Amino acid sequence: MDNLEALLHGFSIAISVQHILLMLLGVFLGIVVGVLPGLGAPNGVSLLLPLTFGMQPVSAIILLSSMYWGALFGGSVTSILFNIPGEPSSVATTFDGYPMARDGRPTTALATAFSSAAFGAFAGVVLITVAASWVASVALEFGPAEYFAVYLLAFASFVGMGGTPPVKTLVALAIGFAIAAIGIDTVSGSVRLTMGVDELVKGVNFVVAVMGLFGIGELLIAVEEEMHVRGVNSKVDWREVFRTVGNMPKYWWTLLRSTAIGCWMGITPGGPTAASFMSYGIAKRFSRNGANFGKGEPEGIIAPEAADHSAGTSALLPMLALGIPGSATAAVMMGGLMIWGLNPGPTLFVDQKDFVWGLIASMYLGNVVAVLMVLLTVPLFAALMRVPFFIIAPLIVVICTVGAYSVSNSYLDVMLMMGFGVVGYLFKKVQYPIAPLVLAIVIGDKAEDAFRQAMLLSGGSLRIFYANALVTTLVTVAIILLLVPLFLTMYSKVVRRS
Amino acid sequence: MVSRRNLELITALLTGAFGVAVIISSTENGISWSEEGVGSGTFPFLTGLVILGGSIVNLVRGAVSEGGIALHAPEVKRWLGLFVPATLFVAFIPLLGLYVSTALYVFGSIAVHGVWSNVKAAAFAIAFAAAVYILFEWMFLVYLPHGWLGSLLGW
Repeated sequence: MDNLEALLHGFSIAISVQHILLMLLGVFLGIVVGVLPGLGAPNGVSLLLPLTFGMQPVSAIILLSSMYWGALFGGSVTSILFNIPGEPSSVATTFDGYPMARDGRPTTALATAFSSAAFGAFAGVVLITVAASWVASVALEFGPAEYFAVYLLAFASFVGMGGTPPVKTLVALAIGFAIAAIGIDTVSGSVRLTMGVDELVKGVNFVVAVMGLFGIGELLIAVEEEMHVRGVNSKVDWREVFRTVGNMPKYWWTLLRSTAIGCWMGITPGGPTAASFMSYGIAKRFSRNGANFGKGEPEGIIAPEAADHSAGTSALLPMLALGIPGSATAAVMMGGLMIWGLNPGPTLFVDQKDFVWGLIASMYLGNVVAVLMVLLTVPLFAALMRVPFFIIAPLIVVICTVGAYSVSNSYLDVMLMMGFGVVGYLFKKVQYPIAPLVLAIVIGDKAEDAFRQAMLLSGGSLRIFYANALVTTLVTVAIILLLVPLFLTMYSKVVRRS
Repeated sequence: MVSRRNLELITALLTGAFGVAVIISSTENGISWSEEGVGSGTFPFLTGLVILGGSIVNLVRGAVSEGGIALHAPEVKRWLGLFVPATLFVAFIPLLGLYVSTALYVFGSIAVHGVWSNVKAAAFAIAFAAAVYILFEWMFLVYLPHGWLGSLLGW
């Protein structure tokens, strides 16, 4: 009941002319980055971040989260109409979305995608409304050992469930930790890892890293592939939209299952991409129409879309309640929270009630705005897709440069950003995951502080991580997740031998 | 042409070198672990070890992998076509300032494709640089570098 009251209060904050305008702007820009190949939600949110430094935190987060919704929806548009996923998490939508559109039913494909996406996102927001303050109140009881255990669990789930080669994930994570450690150590005050460059005393800001990793890195990947646009007719037939939405209850089981997969993968940092693929795979395996998958089967659109959006939304739950982002975009947003002077984590629910509930209320509104806008703007964005890459690319380079420079008026940051761009490119090319790298840059020093504070409390003994049931469970699950890849390799070797 | 194997090896060598640098640099901060707590170099030292160890594993795996070709010649050409001008753009910022560099860079990148006329490309480039100026310096009061040229012109 308290949550409902807090939510109503949140609506009173979120519903203002300024905030609705920011939502419209955010969703619009989000659809732009979602539609453009080579850009996605993390890029868009990173590019917009420097502009929010002077804003009120509530307004800033509404702008950024609306951009996130817009990008999630925008990514599906190009998957369906052009067979070009604007986002990695929309790849699975191309499998059935594009064939359906090509067969002359683009409106049905889009409406199926949007209504399942809206359902998934709505479920994610309800989950946040119901569970976030409870999770936060439990987390308020946490000491440094529990905090470290939760961080460890987040890092371990990337290694165990990330889907990329585990050793590469581990290297990416550790590099993120090392980058987070550059500069002044918050516990002892000593200067670390500056490697002779005095300016590095200020540390490496994560905005600089994400501009390079996502902005420049993605461009360098995108420039290799010449864009072949094979668009289909993108006019929206409104009667068909209503008919498709009316048909959705027929697929209630696929919707519920995909949403549950998405929520789970969003809260544990599996991420929207893994969620959409997993959901598609399961739907194909268990559907009665399994043989039609890949030929324009509605369930093949519903499954990845509902999972993608519920994962994208519920990824904000651990960010708000625990200070642990569930996806790369959430990691960037969390960095924003810190820049605006907020401390992500359970204390937000006590100290910054207006901010938290304003954000949660804006998620309900933002998603409605996103669905309406994406339907209204489909023809416009179909035209945008035809803007050649050679025009967009230099503009993105300039925006990244400005973004990196404006963090602390430092030219070194611009050079670092270019360096991160090359690293981002190489990592993508040889399948090192970027999300854990960003996660470690954002929360690496928090994890380290928690560990060292725990060691101070215990007099240097690791026994503190087995001191009570909660911390023992968290650490044990984390270790199991770390060992999952090892077990899987051994299992497959045994199976192959027999 | 660049083979996937070479890309794997280059990446592993780069991450490994970074790991070594982290290990050496962290030992300067002390890598103690006693009852008084954990030294400020300990955590970075351990991450350095993980980076180095992981890089060695990736290096060995990369060396024995077959892979095939990761980048064909036209792709390398397109890649350099984006990366070299972008690097030059960044390199010229201290000299020409951000706005002049932006206008030149955007003009050059578009004009070289020959799809737009030079006049159209120049107009677009100047308009974009002006838009960046208005957005950042006027609306959001974020001051971007005017460079050596800017100070020469008393800006």
